[in-house]
Amino acid sequence: MEHLQRHLIMENKFDYQPSEHEAEKASNSYLMSLIALIAGMPLPIINLIASVIFFIGNRKGTYFVRWHCTQALLSQFSLLFMNSFGFWWTISIMFGPETISSKYIGYIITILIFNISEFIATIYSAVQTRKGIHVKWFFYGNLTNLICKA
Amino acid sequence: MDAQKVDMFIMSNAKFFESHHVHAIRERLIAMDDSKWVGISTIQFKDPTTSLIVSILAGSLGIDRFMIGDTGIGVGKLLTCGGLGIWTIVDWFMIQGATREKNMQKLQQFLY
Repeated sequence: MEHLQRHLIMENKFDYQPSEHEAEKASNSYLMSLIALIAGMPLPIINLIASVIFFIGNRKGTYFVRWHCTQALLSQFSLLFMNSFGFWWTISIMFGPETISSKYIGYIITILIFNISEFIATIYSAVQTRKGIHVKWFFYGNLTNLICKA
Repeated sequence: MDAQKVDMFIMSNAKFFESHHVHAIRERLIAMDDSKWVGISTIQFKDPTTSLIVSILAGSLGIDRFMIGDTGIGVGKLLTCGGLGIWTIVDWFMIQGATREKNMQKLQQFLY
């Protein structure tokens, strides 16, 4: 478990030691996405829009802040497609001719696992970045490195 | 300017600015001419805590943005009902920083 965790969420050294105000803003980007996720619960797009607005608001921030805003944004972007599909599938079962199949149940379980793991990773990142520790996720961290310019 | 006077100003007004700005403000004030003291001591700063409370209570009407002087953004927020509630949530986290930035801009008119 610990081995897996070390690969999925890495705590790397950042180029510089972020100061107090940067750590707070970076941590807020994760916290805000959690609040938006819960506030817009059935709709999968609410927290993505919220992250985009937060990213735009902090586009002139320091590198550490922008890096974590980008990572929070990217991680939600991939979940959007999975959740949207599940959402409309559910709607079509509720109001359309579709019936619950084992494929549907399997898909819902998959997106639940993905959402819960993202939820836990977001909480963990919010706590760690608040302390000024640079948290780099599997895949999304590398993607953020490519997108976010210093 | 007199260091004691500046320290008094910093002590009573530090909460209105970002923590990393405070030191630079102090340096700048000490180097400044005494004649500007009257102007600086009478600036009215906006309290970040007050704007957070306003943002939570009336954020969907954009009152928080009007309060700190972002009229354009405030009107945008008012017309979109707080960005359908999403922008309101985002602003709960951003309004305190935005207020401190505005205070800094206000002080900068006197500093430079």
